[in-house]
Amino acid sequence: MQYIILAIFFPIAAGLYLLIRKESENRKNLLLCTGAFLIISAVLVVIALFLAGGRMYTLFSLTDKLPIIFKIDEISVLFSVMTIIIFLCAGFFSFEYMKHEEKEKRYYGFYLMVLGVLIALCFAGNLITFYLFFEMLTLSSMPLVLHNGSREAIMAGLKYLFYSLCGAYMALFGLYFVERYGNTLTFSAGGVISEQAASAHGGILLLVAFLMLLGFGVKAGMFPMHAWLPAAHPVAPAPASAVLSAVIVKAGVLAIIRVVYYIFGSSFLKGTWVQTTWMILILLTIFMGSMLAYREPVMKKRLAYSTISQLSYILFGLAVMDAGSVTGGLLHVLCHGFIKAALFLCAGAIIYMTGKTRVEEFRGIGKEMPLLLWCYTIVSLGLIGIPPTGGFISKWYLAQGALSSGIPVFDWLGPVILLVSALLTAGYLLPVTIKGFFPGADYDYNSLRKKEPPALMTIPVLILTILSVAIGLFPGTVVQYLSQMIEKII
Amino acid sequence: MDFVQSFPAISILLCLFAGIISSGLKGKAARYMNTVLILTVTVLSACTLLYTLGTGESYVYVMGKFPAPWGNEIRVGVLESFMALFFCIIMLLSLFGGMKKLTEEVEEGKVFLYYVLTNLLLSSLLALIYTNDLFTAYVFVEINTIAACGLIMIRQNGRTIEAAARYMIMSLLGSGMLLMGICMLYDLTGHLLMSNISEQVALLAASGEYRIPLLVTIALMSVGLAIKSALFPFHAWLPDAYGYSTVSSAAILSSLVSKGYIFLLIKIIYRVIGFEIFDNSRIIDVLFVFGLMGMIFGSLSAIKENDIRRMIAYSSVAQIGYIYMGIGMGTAAGMSASVFHILSHAATKSLLFIAAIGLTDVSGGSRKFVDLTGAAYRNKWAGVAFTVGSLSMVGVPLFSGFISKLLFAQAAVQNNGKMLPALIVLGISTILNAIYFMKTVIRIYTPANGTGSCVTFRSMKLYAVTLVCFIVLNIILGVSSQPVVDLIEQGLAMFS
Repeated sequence: MQYIILAIFFPIAAGLYLLIRKESENRKNLLLCTGAFLIISAVLVVIALFLAGGRMYTLFSLTDKLPIIFKIDEISVLFSVMTIIIFLCAGFFSFEYMKHEEKEKRYYGFYLMVLGVLIALCFAGNLITFYLFFEMLTLSSMPLVLHNGSREAIMAGLKYLFYSLCGAYMALFGLYFVERYGNTLTFSAGGVISEQAASAHGGILLLVAFLMLLGFGVKAGMFPMHAWLPAAHPVAPAPASAVLSAVIVKAGVLAIIRVVYYIFGSSFLKGTWVQTTWMILILLTIFMGSMLAYREPVMKKRLAYSTISQLSYILFGLAVMDAGSVTGGLLHVLCHGFIKAALFLCAGAIIYMTGKTRVEEFRGIGKEMPLLLWCYTIVSLGLIGIPPTGGFISKWYLAQGALSSGIPVFDWLGPVILLVSALLTAGYLLPVTIKGFFPGADYDYNSLRKKEPPALMTIPVLILTILSVAIGLFPGTVVQYLSQMIEKII
Repeated sequence: MDFVQSFPAISILLCLFAGIISSGLKGKAARYMNTVLILTVTVLSACTLLYTLGTGESYVYVMGKFPAPWGNEIRVGVLESFMALFFCIIMLLSLFGGMKKLTEEVEEGKVFLYYVLTNLLLSSLLALIYTNDLFTAYVFVEINTIAACGLIMIRQNGRTIEAAARYMIMSLLGSGMLLMGICMLYDLTGHLLMSNISEQVALLAASGEYRIPLLVTIALMSVGLAIKSALFPFHAWLPDAYGYSTVSSAAILSSLVSKGYIFLLIKIIYRVIGFEIFDNSRIIDVLFVFGLMGMIFGSLSAIKENDIRRMIAYSSVAQIGYIYMGIGMGTAAGMSASVFHILSHAATKSLLFIAAIGLTDVSGGSRKFVDLTGAAYRNKWAGVAFTVGSLSMVGVPLFSGFISKLLFAQAAVQNNGKMLPALIVLGISTILNAIYFMKTVIRIYTPANGTGSCVTFRSMKLYAVTLVCFIVLNIILGVSSQPVVDLIEQGLAMFS
């Protein structure tokens, strides 16, 4: 019990402490504090994962029927490990990056709070706990979006808030019905809707399931409620964009996993109109996201559009509801997390060193910072899905699962769209590499200066790159772990 | 008969006499007396609550020597004593929170009058809560109106006088309708005591006689009390009255006075008309529809408002709408959700009013949003408190507003006919609430270029402590709501 509580509430308390502590001139002091807090949080999460797995803990009861429950299962392990790795990398990256931004104290305070809330989401054991921290996530991550206080940032923050609240309300709407017709609100593999309720109230429950998917889909940037994402992610400081795009949106994915496989159950949803409509929305999102990214000239915005598209890869895997495709989707959770964090950190490092934000300005950047651009290229290849990176493995499973699922039309349409989108991904990511390393004959080589970013920036990027490749080289353990878990839920 | 049983009657009389005595005292002495009085009544109500919880049933206390059909009675149950306790706490906190402002805004020679009016207001609220006699209820409704007008008007400027006049007119219209309703009931049944009327009404309803007059009576009383509690579309008096009066008055008016009338209406529904009969009349649907409209239009007006106090006032219209929606659902679950929302809204709205005054004070007294930029950095306590209040209003879990929303939705899910409109409007209204409250929160936390003065904890100890009490109250209602909900359900069960 106490391990889980510590893992969740230590970062939140640390964040609050940073927020209320006095503004000090000594920057080193603040960084030491934050660094120590981040590392302690990571250690606490690992301890909790080892010592408190599998059992259920009730923190307190909101009302008689709505207890706040935490439970660590396989999904929690997957998501919390990814969260903590990316938060550590982006955290240390920001120590250098945030030098030129103001209000650092506030930034680190909310950064830690978001970490705690995310860990709580990973560990949440029932729908009401999940909903509670889902709202908290929106509120605590909003200051990261608002950080620079410009008009653009405030409008983006408000957009983020309203889309998220709309989504959360749709999910809450579902919660009322699940409470009424389900056996329990506790996440249980295979669903909580009894056959009796499913046959008596099938129509309304399907509608509710669809609303919940749409509602939680807002966080995951699913069409038609995706418009907040390209507005909100790029205005945040780069390391915050990295966690927003790599981890926080995954809370939406986690929510959908919980709703589909732990509340309604795949057997209830398989073959219904909900699955069909959902898949149509997802395929639209994949294509649209890639297309928009392809046309976007500003690097961070381009990455944000790419997030929209890539998240729907994951959702596609979940929507097919076939063991293979779900494995692919969950693998892609990890791959996309590491890759997108690395990409945003690269973009951040470029902004930090040169102040350039638009893709066409990146000419010759590979000559100035070769190590960074090599990392960028490797993770880009991963996102496109070229072996031996992790992206290849996850997309392999996704396509294979879709092909063998036997759902009419989608079993071939899905893989086709995945392929087209992969081409577009190459189209929007690789120009940076090409222009960066081969600026062309008319480039003024004399103006080149070595501008490799400091170690505090390159090392996190390097770690993320290595991780994304490592998943591709040694997928065995992870895949085995995932398929054991998936056997239980499908 | 136990001595505790007479506590409710003693509290009402104490308040009345305290009102009389304080009219001869100076400002400061009147204030002490008022504080002591409210504390005493709090303790007395708590004793009554414990007593009724212990016996597990309600009791009737006969005032004077005349027995049932003629004499005056007080009826005390769990819900009544709990309401009295809660109202006292909110009133005390509201007075403390606005005390400093009160001395600035009200002429020194008139401060004692403020406490006279508060004492009278408290006595009338207690009487409305406890009474078992419709005519007594009417008398105290009038006392309540007069005292409330005084509370609005005591800060003397043109706006408040206009607001008080408006309030007076609308309120008297409401009381008039209530009085007509009571007269007709007296005519139909020949009684004024609630229990006797309800027997007769049940007989009338069973025999099918006087169907139309009975319907008209129900309509008159419901609409009359709805006007007095500012249900949409009878809310025109509200924004000025809450927006320009001194802050304690605004907090007390919004969280207690209008709630007293709603509580009286709930009592009439259960104890006079009978829940079944009220449910079968169409009036309940009218209340439901007006409630839904209030939820949306109140919020829309609040979004358009550029003055923080008036924005909070308009938000009250929306919240009153929630309460009437719950009543309009016509189920026990809806009713207990409404009663819970009375509590949660009382705790939240007074918090917001008092936090807002802290924010405007550090912005040069201006209430326009432009000037409030960065106010939360200048008055940290008020900033945090306003944020908590806003989150509660939006319905974020852990705060009281979420529990009300949850209870309303649970009640709606059980009611097949009204489920969809209720849930959809709840959703829309949540989003609208978020729009104007979060806009304000972001505004007050947007750093400004060093205008206005900062305040420290030392200069506003009482104010800060009050805010902390409100926040704690809010979180208690949000985190451990089950005992309160149980209490409400038990109390409502005692009504019938």
